[in-house]
Amino acid sequence: MSVTLVDTPFSNRRNIVNALARAGATVTLSSDAAEIAAADTVILPGVGAFSTAMQWLRERRIDIALKDAVARHAMLLGVCLGYQLLFESSTEMGSTLGLGFLRGEVTSFQGTQSAPPKIGWNSIQIVKPSALFVGIADQADMYFVHSFRVERSVDCVAVASCGGRFVAAAERGNVFGVQFHPEKSSVSGARVINNFVQLAARCAA
Amino acid sequence: MSFSIIPALDLLAGRIVRLREGDFSSPTFYDDAFELVDRWPAGTLLHVVDLEAARSGRPIELELVRALVRKGFRLQVGGGVRSIDDARTWLGIGADRVIIGTVACDQPQLFRSIVEAVGSEKVLPALDIRCGEVRTHGWIATGARTIEETLKVVEGAGCSEALVTDVSRDGKMGGPSFALYRSLAELTPLRIIASGGVTTKRDVDALSRLKNVSGAVVGKAILERRIDALARPETSLLPRIIPCLDVRNGRVAKGVRFEGLRDAGDPAELAARYEAEGADEIVLLDIVATPERRGAALETVARVADLLSIPFTVGGGVRSLEDFRALLMAGADRVAINSAAVARPELLREAASEFGVQAVVLACDVAGGGAGEVMVGGGRFPTGLDAVEWCRRAEQEGAGEILLTSIDRDGTHAGFDVTLLRRISSAVQVGVIASGGAGTLEHFRDAIEEGGCSAVLAASLFHDRVLSIRDVKRFLRDAGIPMRRSAA
Repeated sequence: MSVTLVDTPFSNRRNIVNALARAGATVTLSSDAAEIAAADTVILPGVGAFSTAMQWLRERRIDIALKDAVARHAMLLGVCLGYQLLFESSTEMGSTLGLGFLRGEVTSFQGTQSAPPKIGWNSIQIVKPSALFVGIADQADMYFVHSFRVERSVDCVAVASCGGRFVAAAERGNVFGVQFHPEKSSVSGARVINNFVQLAARCAA
Repeated sequence: MSFSIIPALDLLAGRIVRLREGDFSSPTFYDDAFELVDRWPAGTLLHVVDLEAARSGRPIELELVRALVRKGFRLQVGGGVRSIDDARTWLGIGADRVIIGTVACDQPQLFRSIVEAVGSEKVLPALDIRCGEVRTHGWIATGARTIEETLKVVEGAGCSEALVTDVSRDGKMGGPSFALYRSLAELTPLRIIASGGVTTKRDVDALSRLKNVSGAVVGKAILERRIDALARPETSLLPRIIPCLDVRNGRVAKGVRFEGLRDAGDPAELAARYEAEGADEIVLLDIVATPERRGAALETVARVADLLSIPFTVGGGVRSLEDFRALLMAGADRVAINSAAVARPELLREAASEFGVQAVVLACDVAGGGAGEVMVGGGRFPTGLDAVEWCRRAEQEGAGEILLTSIDRDGTHAGFDVTLLRRISSAVQVGVIASGGAGTLEHFRDAIEEGGCSAVLAASLFHDRVLSIRDVKRFLRDAGIPMRRSAA
């Protein structure tokens, strides 16, 4: 089962590569647009600033490659910043357009422009059935690290609360995303990755 | 039960004041507080005390209370309510309920008759407690009955809620008396409104977790803008329990961290075991950290990282951005910097800019307890820096969290330096990880509640299997502190 991990410079690759390997995937790291466009299963990781990451994707035409891949029914999973990039836009640094796969906007935690990032374990509440959360208890704890979040989305499948509710996971068609770090969320997180890899394997078959 | 923050306005001679421990000789006036009050929406519940009335027993501040009622606030008013007439006076001008303290303790018959006359929902009984005794008459006298007896009177009269103030904490902004509120849960089914010493948002959040506490009266901290009256308690990010691996030559070292080391096992095996036992994060500190050992240390980090699927923070001898990057590439999620940051604080800013604030942890070793001097070089060299000032500076530069170790307590199992932890956690917005002194289950609770910490670290306590992570989490959960559950 082959998975292409977009090789962004803004993430700690090692952990997510290990997690995918444990789930039985063979991981290819790539920052090549053609390779990504042709992939069946793509993971978009990321940590850091939305606009910097979007710029990095655009410069390499990976934004277009991802759109092509998704149009071809490839499976796409965004994690943390990678998840945020899947949405329409972000208010970080004014307003930046995202990839637009998922509906909604990324905004900062209320009234806390200069507050430190929210770092820690938080419970998620599953609000719609999703292949990502098969076998995971409601109120499972996941590890979050973020300063921005998506407050609401019609594509929401799970929520969490930290000074207000926000979208912890979303999906639309073959595009999935999680705000938390599944590769750092112990057994529950490993299950999310497993579920995605197995789903991708079924769809590729 | 939803938890309320209730702003307290103590009135004296038509002005808003705060007293310290009820001492009338040294009031601080907060005339600009009216401006703050004006920003609160109609319907906000306020806690108003007529201080002179508390002392002399006659309602005085009627004008001011009428004005607050006209603004649309809901009021619980107290101070010298000693008769049915007094109660009716306040209720008559629009107060929601009257607070009755002295009478509840000293005159149970009268208390019952007031409750009967106006209705139990219009009365909030108040117990002002100092050193295990009820204080009355504006706190200048000792009550005629014990806490337990007063509680029985209150329950018997049909009240379901009581205001409990720890007098010794009032006005000092030193934290609320968690132990007192906890002990009350054993003594009475009454819902408790906590008061006295509530200083930080974390205090509010911690109080909101106590099952028997329905709200907090907050005075000075609101007037001094440390707590927003309109804030809501937030308990969503779970406090973390973190085993620490002090690694020397690829092996975990056991013993008092700053001296005397013995082998305690393989880091990767130990880390994996701790994850399986429910650890929320692993911290690995390279305690030898010389340039010659750099490669071997990275190999150990990588071996541990490959086995973990929980957050992994690594520190020890981090001197430069290159060291930082190497550790992240080896699999650390966050990197702790200590001495190098003291030598050049800009390093924190550079690391935060390059890798993100969330990747930067300031490790700070402190000697000398409450006053706190920052030490470097593995706790050997004094810097002359005040711990609070240094942590504030580090936060400004870009530290995303602070790992605070009390050198004096480390390895002693005698408890964390909770005073020090509280000083630091009250001064910064980032989380503080408590380190140094873990010995009992209660220590973990105190570090989180009194100390205001977002995580608690222990080393030999876990390595020596004195306590297990499961023991700690079970105890904390029973104490009302939510913990991450480990099952899938």
